[in-house]
Amino acid sequence: MKKGELVLKNVSKKFGEVKALDKLDLVIKSGELVALLGPSGCGKTTALRIVAGLEHHDSGSIKINDQNISGVPAHQRNMGMVFQAYSLFPNLTVLENVAFGLKMRKVSKEKQQKKSIELLELVGLPTQKNRFPHQLSGGQQQRVALARALAIEPSVLLLDEPLSALDAQVRTNLRDEIRRLQLSLGITTLFVTHDQEEAMSMADRVGVMRNGKLEQIGVPSDLYNKPATPFVASFVGIANRIPAEVTGKGNVKVLGQKIALSEFSMEFDDGKKVNALVRPESLHLVSESDPEATNGIVAIKSFLGPLTKIGVAIEGYPIVHLNLASKDVKRIEIGDRISFKIAADELMVESA
Amino acid sequence: MPETVEVEIKGATSRGTLNRRNLLVLLPLIPIFVYLGAFFLFPMSRVLFDSFKSNKGEFTLENFQIVLHNPYRLAFLTSIKLGLVSALTAALPGALFAYLIEIKGSERIKKLVSSLSGVLSSTGGVPLAFMFIAAIGAQGSATTLLKNLGIDLYSGKFTLFSFTGLVIVYLYFQIPIMVVVFTPAVKALRNEWHEAATNLGATRFNYWRNIGIPILFPSFAASFLLLFANGFSAYATARAMTVGNVALVPLQIGSLVDGNIQVGGANIGKALAMGMVLISAVAMIPYLVIQRRTRRWQS
Amino acid sequence: MKRSLTLYTTLILGGIFVFLPFGSAAEFSFRDGGANKHSLKAYRWILEQPDFVHYLLVTLKLTVIAVVITILLMVPTVVWLHLRAQSLRPLMEFLTILPLVIPVVALAIGAQSAFPTWLQSTEYELSLMFAVLAMPYTYRTLDTGIAAIPLATLTEAARSLGANWFNTIIRVILPVIRSAVIGAVFIATALSLGEFTLTVLLHWDTFPTWVTSISQQNIVGAIALSIFSLAAAFLILIILNFTIFGARTKKVEE
Repeated sequence: MKKGELVLKNVSKKFGEVKALDKLDLVIKSGELVALLGPSGCGKTTALRIVAGLEHHDSGSIKINDQNISGVPAHQRNMGMVFQAYSLFPNLTVLENVAFGLKMRKVSKEKQQKKSIELLELVGLPTQKNRFPHQLSGGQQQRVALARALAIEPSVLLLDEPLSALDAQVRTNLRDEIRRLQLSLGITTLFVTHDQEEAMSMADRVGVMRNGKLEQIGVPSDLYNKPATPFVASFVGIANRIPAEVTGKGNVKVLGQKIALSEFSMEFDDGKKVNALVRPESLHLVSESDPEATNGIVAIKSFLGPLTKIGVAIEGYPIVHLNLASKDVKRIEIGDRISFKIAADELMVESA
Repeated sequence: MPETVEVEIKGATSRGTLNRRNLLVLLPLIPIFVYLGAFFLFPMSRVLFDSFKSNKGEFTLENFQIVLHNPYRLAFLTSIKLGLVSALTAALPGALFAYLIEIKGSERIKKLVSSLSGVLSSTGGVPLAFMFIAAIGAQGSATTLLKNLGIDLYSGKFTLFSFTGLVIVYLYFQIPIMVVVFTPAVKALRNEWHEAATNLGATRFNYWRNIGIPILFPSFAASFLLLFANGFSAYATARAMTVGNVALVPLQIGSLVDGNIQVGGANIGKALAMGMVLISAVAMIPYLVIQRRTRRWQS
Repeated sequence: MKRSLTLYTTLILGGIFVFLPFGSAAEFSFRDGGANKHSLKAYRWILEQPDFVHYLLVTLKLTVIAVVITILLMVPTVVWLHLRAQSLRPLMEFLTILPLVIPVVALAIGAQSAFPTWLQSTEYELSLMFAVLAMPYTYRTLDTGIAAIPLATLTEAARSLGANWFNTIIRVILPVIRSAVIGAVFIATALSLGEFTLTVLLHWDTFPTWVTSISQQNIVGAIALSIFSLAAAFLILIILNFTIFGARTKKVEE
């Protein structure tokens, strides 16, 4: 498999008056799976389609292994793409679908057959080769689509929300399979999705996009623990928004505790009213006598198996959500008094 | 007193059995069965039976034997030819136009074309004939215009009141019909297929040859059949544009109904009608079958 | 979006093909003795004909009856099929499509020879037959339109909330199938207004056949009449298309 490093530099694209991409810079190292994550309209799909050659960027450059492919027409780019749904050719069998790219490259019939069957085995569907797409389930169709994209031994694999149209159970299974395949083949992959769980669990690095710009790109744990902006913080994981006040240089006073500000929240002046973004799992139960404790009444209790979500009502504040181990809160009921404190080293804030 | 609850046992169906529940379900459907029976199946079965009857009411194949000879034979051949030529001249332009509009047209244009096609597909008869006579008849405005530009439509033997003239006039409603019937097929061509094909290395030619045309072909063929049946059976326009100089089956049946004496017995008209039904069915049944299948993935 | 040259050229050519015959005939219809003088003479002549109003009313009457028959016959049938008799839908689709397979001329000859005298002596036999001719289209429109609505679910919901059958039909079913019914009405109307073949072969006179017979008397008048009826049809159908069918559902802004 030809390895490829994908570099997007200063890529911009406008649709009419709307800026779909705003000077995007992105580097995907050879063999890496990068996920572009963001809400609809953030530009992630546009970026993917520009890489594929299905759209033309207005400015900037796209290079694979240092070769500028900006002028190369889509059908000559040798990239494998998997679409969200409905991309299998309905008039061809599964085998013919997978072999299509090879047929276009004038590969001999025997080689087409051999390679296609090989790939169908790789995705676990060798018995379906003579079926037609409409006879397969959604998950099966996407696997065939994947096999079809990989058959041409592309330098880059492009995945456009391939799991979004599938049932939850199928989605999680296929997600793992795609990642496994990608790792074993070592193929450079760009994966676009709006599902943060998908992106975080599959990717080597995740890039969060908004309004055509990349807000932050990094390994999943960095995005989660050190979000660069409030948008990233709330997109990647849930956050409580607790009214607070900036004090001194680099600290925030929230719920009676003074906690350092994250490096990305330094722009607020002393005394400014803000919302502190606190992850539920950063809130720990303490005894009422703890000097830093915040007291409240349990308003919500949701049992989720290993975890239980507790919603605490505190006078003058919105409901604060905690995620606690179920065994620790077995005896706590709605209406009980509860005490907790923030156990985080630094917090991100946004203007209130 | 405990209430008895009726439990439906999965798998145990009462379909097909003549029980009370099934009969009740059929009851509200009786009106339409009766209506179709009385006003459609009854007259058509009469045509069928009478076509096998002689003047005296006995069973005979004579009517059909007569119908297979001239002047009726010629009429059948001409009508079939008209259907084919009309379908051929309208199918491809109509399909291409439908494709162009669907791919490149804005929403407003698509709506306009759709409305206009719907309206135009139902034009015919005398109004249509007059429009064409006024336009490209011997004294027509377009004819005069072209003459001033040096093109004389009537330099040869061309006349609007001929087979050729009919084909030209038929285009006016056949092409819109093609647009109406073929557009859903074009709409169903998913962008993803073209993009996936491109991504896999297909040029436009490759795409059309391997994917596009094979997918569109059944609908195209079905639409063609519809155009054929329509051109074959059309009556009003043919009647307005010919004066007995083009032998067509609908016209012959028409004149029989008007009481004109014809070669053969009293039930010749019915035999002719059965002939028309047969030929029409040969085209329409495959049309409906294909439509049914392609409708599934087109909606 | 790139403005396509091919598109606009084709549209212009198409426009010429469509409007040239119409325009030529229209020009002709405004003639007042020769190609250089124009007036509304022919149109005034039409409107002065007593037969104009007479045949217009005949056609309108027959059309209304045909549409009423269609609604009374087809709407309950299709609703019932979707609510309680789903398995019979294929059969019904087959039966209602048969009139499409049979040429109108053949049907005319069937009607002429099979129908009893009392039926053939009333022009309302036309309305009955128009409903048959329209059936393939009206059934399909109603069937597809109603299939797109979760009718069974809505009905069950209404019933479970305590509505009796009368209320369910009036307040739930009828409003929700409205657009499908309008579509069917539209088709039945268009077909009945313009029907010629069956009418003339059964020896009746309606507006379309009158237009044809006028051509013997006054050719400019006949052309004017044709233009008039075509223009009216064009206009009505296009307006309907852009209003009723266009603004059918307006999505609420979230």
